[in-house]
Amino acid sequence: MSEGAASEGGRGSSTARGTGTPRPRARRWRRLAGPQNRTLWFWAFVGPFTLGLIVFTYVPLGWSVYLSFFDAHNTVSPTDFVGFDNYTSMLKNDAFTDSLWTFVVFTAFIVPTTFVLSLSLALMVNRMRRAQAFLRSVFFLPAACSYVVAALIWKMSIFNGVRFGLANTVLGWFGADQTAWLSTTDPPWYWLVIVTVRLWLQAGFYMILFLAGLQRISPTLYEAAAVDGARPGWQVLRHITLPQLRTTSVAVVLLLVINAFQAFDEFYNLLSDARGYPPYARPPLVYLYYTALGQGQNLGLGSAGAVLLALIIAVVTIGQARWFGLGKKED
Amino acid sequence: MTIDRRTLLASGAALGLLTACGSNTGRGGDGSDGEGPKLSQWYHQYGEAGTEQAVKRYADAYGKADVAVQWRPGNYDEQTAAALLTKSGPDVFEVNGPTLDQIQGGQVLDLTDLLDGVRDDFNPAVLAPKTYDGRIWAIPQVVDMQLLYYRKSLLADAGRTPPKSLGELVDTARALTTKKVKGLFLGNDGGAGALGGTPLYAAGLQLVTDDGKVGFDDPAAARALAHLRDLYEDKSLLLGAPSDWSDPSAFVQGLTAMQWSGLWALPAVKKALGDDFGVAAFPAAGPGGKAAVPVGAYGSAVSARSAHKQAAKDFVKWLWVEKTDYQRDFALSYGFHIPARLSLAKKADALTEGPAADAVRHSTESGFAEPLLWTPASRVAYQDALSRIIKSGANPESELRSVVRKVSAELDRVKKKSS
Amino acid sequence: MYDAWVRVGRALRVALLIALALLFLIPFYLLVRNGLASEQDITSPDWTFFPATLHWSNIRELFEDSTVPMARSLYNSALIAVLTTAGTLLLASLAGYGLARIPYRHADRVFYFILATMMVPAAVTFVPSFVLVSSLGWVSTMRGLIVPTLFSAFACFIFRQYFLGFPRELEDAARVDGLGHWRTYWLVVVPNSRPVFAAVGTIVFIGAWNSFLWPLVIGQDRDAWTVQVALASFTTSQVIRLHELFIAAAVSIVPLLVVFLFFQRWIVAGVERSGIDE
Repeated sequence: MSEGAASEGGRGSSTARGTGTPRPRARRWRRLAGPQNRTLWFWAFVGPFTLGLIVFTYVPLGWSVYLSFFDAHNTVSPTDFVGFDNYTSMLKNDAFTDSLWTFVVFTAFIVPTTFVLSLSLALMVNRMRRAQAFLRSVFFLPAACSYVVAALIWKMSIFNGVRFGLANTVLGWFGADQTAWLSTTDPPWYWLVIVTVRLWLQAGFYMILFLAGLQRISPTLYEAAAVDGARPGWQVLRHITLPQLRTTSVAVVLLLVINAFQAFDEFYNLLSDARGYPPYARPPLVYLYYTALGQGQNLGLGSAGAVLLALIIAVVTIGQARWFGLGKKED
Repeated sequence: MTIDRRTLLASGAALGLLTACGSNTGRGGDGSDGEGPKLSQWYHQYGEAGTEQAVKRYADAYGKADVAVQWRPGNYDEQTAAALLTKSGPDVFEVNGPTLDQIQGGQVLDLTDLLDGVRDDFNPAVLAPKTYDGRIWAIPQVVDMQLLYYRKSLLADAGRTPPKSLGELVDTARALTTKKVKGLFLGNDGGAGALGGTPLYAAGLQLVTDDGKVGFDDPAAARALAHLRDLYEDKSLLLGAPSDWSDPSAFVQGLTAMQWSGLWALPAVKKALGDDFGVAAFPAAGPGGKAAVPVGAYGSAVSARSAHKQAAKDFVKWLWVEKTDYQRDFALSYGFHIPARLSLAKKADALTEGPAADAVRHSTESGFAEPLLWTPASRVAYQDALSRIIKSGANPESELRSVVRKVSAELDRVKKKSS
Repeated sequence: MYDAWVRVGRALRVALLIALALLFLIPFYLLVRNGLASEQDITSPDWTFFPATLHWSNIRELFEDSTVPMARSLYNSALIAVLTTAGTLLLASLAGYGLARIPYRHADRVFYFILATMMVPAAVTFVPSFVLVSSLGWVSTMRGLIVPTLFSAFACFIFRQYFLGFPRELEDAARVDGLGHWRTYWLVVVPNSRPVFAAVGTIVFIGAWNSFLWPLVIGQDRDAWTVQVALASFTTSQVIRLHELFIAAAVSIVPLLVVFLFFQRWIVAGVERSGIDE
């Protein structure tokens, strides 16, 4: 049956190539096309995508790597080869290493917080009999908002530093002074703003992932547990629900970490101004953006930093995947 | 092949769709006179009503080329920097520069001959940063300046006069601060961005000396910057306003008694507050200091990748050198700027009375412009340090030492390139 | 006793959920409140829950404002989002199916080659991408705004995971009927995979609608502005018009909320079956 389809395809392709083709060429063609034309079919399906990826991701990527070995101020076709100078000066640059620390702090905070919040939301929403769809929508809706819109609401309305900001108004009812949330470095209130905006935008999406995971758990497991005398609540959660959610949890953590690495939009929209960006809460992408795209346009140095960052991301992601036992061949 | 004709047709149609919609936002669909080559001219987005219509009117009035104006929202410097790498960028564009690297990299054209005979009529302070190797790389459009706005009534209530020294500014700001109104607004970052090198000039120093050395390797610099920390620590500064220092809203809304802003804000302030405001320069810092106000100019430059270099230069010459009535209109009718031409500035009635006249006087007596050698990399290093001094209480001396080191390295780099 | 505890627990849970739900709704409330207020209402030192008079005219003024092409940018965003979604779904699902279901010696290598791009932050390749696209003459064109964004490794990854778990019996039945890979895919696989297409489609649609940096730099002509770029034009000028900014933001999310509410049940079903989370 698959045999029939494949040989039909094989005949078709050789006739398509013209009947006058000498035999050796036909044989080479056959070999390239693979058994039952599988190679051919594989590339018919995967080829367009891969080609686009090469043109629009790998070519620019290679170009970036190339730039990172040159003194490339305001040019993408540099001539001044500098070897690893850009890399060494980037690694010696406090601003860059600080930005890596910023990223570590941010990840250490945002990943567990989002994880716990979205899991709790899923657990609670899942057990609601009435209004489940409504609550799910409420928590999921923010995922439709852009960082531009969310940052706008956070910066201009909730956490602005003046008396008509919502947070300051509420605190004012209790007699507290107005706080400049985004401008205060001691204590670092800006983290509250940055973390809450991301929580609001993302928690609903991960809640949906957890909900889907919860709905896959077979009810018989719970019935069995009830028979064994397990109390609904903590015991069931610990011994049945959480272990059953393991694959979902692993995927959520991986996605959260990748997303944290790519953090740019909310930082940029919350903290940048016409004159640049403050030296705190500056994650690597924001720093590189200013290095490579600002008026300074030091493309060589910026590319070197970007390559370093991509290497770090690769190491962390692969390490994480190994740790969770992923990346083995699935079937 | 089992890929039948229908699916081939379908994917062909999808491709065709993508190709077809490529042309429906094609450039140059302005529908204007259509004479001569097509030029595209970029402006950053001005906040003052009517500016965009005005520059389009100028462009339409030009007969020798079909000029399409593009009004760019968002991060203008980044957008132009990226666009200059390609042929699809602007032909003529205004730039808060150009930067030394843009000039050295040959990204902008030499416009010296456009100013033949009228060079002396341009404000020398703002022409200097557009000049490199004796050649001119952009034509200043208008002179912008920043200064301190204060509410006369609030100062009078507190028994204060406009501050004459930086120490006095700190005291006055503290005295004016109440539970609902802050004393001073220097921008949401506490002043690091808006003030820039101003406190250094107020301390009698410079960013870069005339012979290309670091101009603030001096103990007076640390003393001046420490005062800014005092402002922050006293909680006299307004921080986290919805709009930044360039917008007079915070001042007009009564969130602050004094604000650092631009001359461009003057009409809006006047409209809202009438006579209840005055303007001052940034006060002198320390015994060797003198009052300072930053002046600067967006310049009109021509991209070296333009397909119509001569036509673009002709247009710039026409608009920013010959058409003095347009230059006057642009400077004075939308917001408030000082004309870049000395002859026009003298004739500008709007600038001869009240706070506007004070502002012009400050600009001539205490104006300074950021030198061309003060590159973006140096600015970032300095601004980071300033922010740490103001907000985190970092030690000014050690912060400045590391800035001096970075700026010297940067100056060496650009000098090496030019030799 | 035990029942009482359960009841208290449930009441606590409901209370907590309602509180959280209200918290999550606050930003939407602020959008509407500030969007329908006057400048004075917003900046007033005394907080009002809702402005005394609702300024519905703010919406009309927004569309009449000649300095910001709001209607045109909404149209552009819609067109870009729809075409991007359609293109991404087509390309990524084909690739995902090929990777999962067509035996080929190097399939795994190709898969990792694709997956690796997920780890490269877009900012790394931003400038070269821009130069590349503009050297194709695609600046300010729909092509430039859409084509480079069509190749989403994330979407391809999800489709591959989903197709790995697609029931083989269905495909085998198709083979019995003499269908090749291509027609099996279109006649059997796609019609049976609607939820995962809906889930991925929604995620891609949101991303396309909300993307900012690329349209800002590629959409140079005002006629090519997207709604996010138009929104930015309110925040970056020297003078910020607060109420206009908020009403514009509110208008910009309405189309998305509609799409979202409409496709919501598909998304949950799609996630459940796609193995996004496996």
